[in-house]
Amino acid sequence: MAVSLQKGGNVSLSKEAPGLSKVTVGLGWDPRVTDGAEFDLDASVFVCGEDGKVLSDKHFVFYNNAKSPDGSVEHTGDNRSGEGEGDDEQVKIDLSAVPAEVKKLVFAVTIHEGASRKQNFGQVANAFMRVINQDGEKELARYDLSEDYSTETAMIFGEVYRHNADWKFKAIGGGFEGGLGPLASSHGVNLG
Amino acid sequence: MTQLAMGANAPISSPTFTLDVDLPTGGQIDVTALLLYGDGKVRGDGDMCFFNQTSIGGGAVSLRIQGDRQSFSFDLGKMPPDVEKIVVNATLENGAFSAVADLDLTTSDGIKIPVATAGRSEAALILCEIYRRNDQWKIRNVSQGFNGGLQALAEHFGVEVAAPEPTPVKPTPSVDLSKVSLTKRESTISLKKDDGKFGRIRINLNWNQKKTSGGLFGFGKRGIDLDLGAFIEFKTGEFGVVQALGDCFGDLTEMPFTQLMSDDRTGTSTDGEWLEIDGNAWPKFKRILIFAFIYEGVANWQETDGVIRLMVPGQPEVEVRMNELSAGRNEGMCAVALLENKDNQIRINREVRFFTGHEAMDNAYDWGMRWKAGRK
Repeated sequence: MAVSLQKGGNVSLSKEAPGLSKVTVGLGWDPRVTDGAEFDLDASVFVCGEDGKVLSDKHFVFYNNAKSPDGSVEHTGDNRSGEGEGDDEQVKIDLSAVPAEVKKLVFAVTIHEGASRKQNFGQVANAFMRVINQDGEKELARYDLSEDYSTETAMIFGEVYRHNADWKFKAIGGGFEGGLGPLASSHGVNLG
Repeated sequence: MTQLAMGANAPISSPTFTLDVDLPTGGQIDVTALLLYGDGKVRGDGDMCFFNQTSIGGGAVSLRIQGDRQSFSFDLGKMPPDVEKIVVNATLENGAFSAVADLDLTTSDGIKIPVATAGRSEAALILCEIYRRNDQWKIRNVSQGFNGGLQALAEHFGVEVAAPEPTPVKPTPSVDLSKVSLTKRESTISLKKDDGKFGRIRINLNWNQKKTSGGLFGFGKRGIDLDLGAFIEFKTGEFGVVQALGDCFGDLTEMPFTQLMSDDRTGTSTDGEWLEIDGNAWPKFKRILIFAFIYEGVANWQETDGVIRLMVPGQPEVEVRMNELSAGRNEGMCAVALLENKDNQIRINREVRFFTGHEAMDNAYDWGMRWKAGRK
């Protein structure tokens, strides 16, 4: 049985699955059922050091940069519609290969062109983030973002971070106005 | 004054409030409110508040239309506890919302919900939703909709709309889909069985007995007693009647292959009266006239709310409602349905014709029996 987290809660993934190395982080949401402008949600990962900033621009893993430089964090691709059961987007991580200077991986979901399409998380239902052990495909932890969101166009779902020798998962569910650009800047990404 | 952008929400401070929807002048726009349950769907036509049904949920939501301002009044205290959400919608008769000016919604506790229409391809919009969130009612600007108009919107929320009619029609009591209801317009059905053997045909008469309170001394008014019966004619020319009056209960195993199962004198029995016909003997029959008559009480058929159901094994159930006015107060007899043998098929025709008694009905259908008064 996976650990179900509330907003702000955390769990030690290493304790849940001793010897854990490769995990899949799944992120999901319900597609809109109404018509109108397309609704495209994107997951991204900020691979951060001690200061909470990305190690380099290449450590911002998103739809245009599917892998971190060392290959330990890999985005498996963009799902344009949110259709289908289960995870809408997945990120594969080899925790044992993550460089020592990486202290946390921040997982965010942003609404593509949310501002111009007048779309926001107030219109997104049943968002979640979960961590799966690739060895056996067991779900280790899950966070359902049950907050009543509003006009945010970017959302930090959660983070996977080092705590001493362990890897932990923290449920954040923090909204962010302005979309992916400002969110990336705040994590130290230099936008062109 | 709180202004909610699209997607934004705010708590509702008072359980009773109004929501004014200001429509652009001259637009052919209708507004509706739908009560939605846990599955995000309505449960029936009664969950839709619109111009033809201006109050729903026992007064929880009502609609007042004054020109281009249409106002919903909410009484959340009256809201059925399993209602999770109320969606307020606007639908256009023709075209897309991009062609009309913006809509403005305002609640009586000062929440403004502007709905911009620029660039909108939809013909039906969910304007806002009022929803439960941790025991608190909230309101959200949704501003999303459907290109397919009211029908797409209604179907999304589980409302059945008679296609392709775009405007909602006043809900009428709908008949169970597994039944065939004979009405004035569709009054005939033929039941076919290759060997002409229909098994045991069961006919039920049921009616509502309204318990009117009996005035000063508390004596209840005597209820109406309805009797079920049948005129029967065989191909041989033999004929007869099956009814409680005169103890003509008939017989199922021999002529007339028709039997009245019991007589419910009080109307308190919940399943009414039953008449059974040996359908395997159907090839012998020429015709059967099913009738109901008021044994006691004033001939007010509308108040009886009577319904006759005909159950033939392996065939859709057929029902006939006696919901038409009789012409006169002394017409206590109602010919309900005529079953005729047409090449061993059962052709059922809805009659619902009223008569003063057995003899008048007999004459009308040319059965040719002799009549004298009887008591049961």
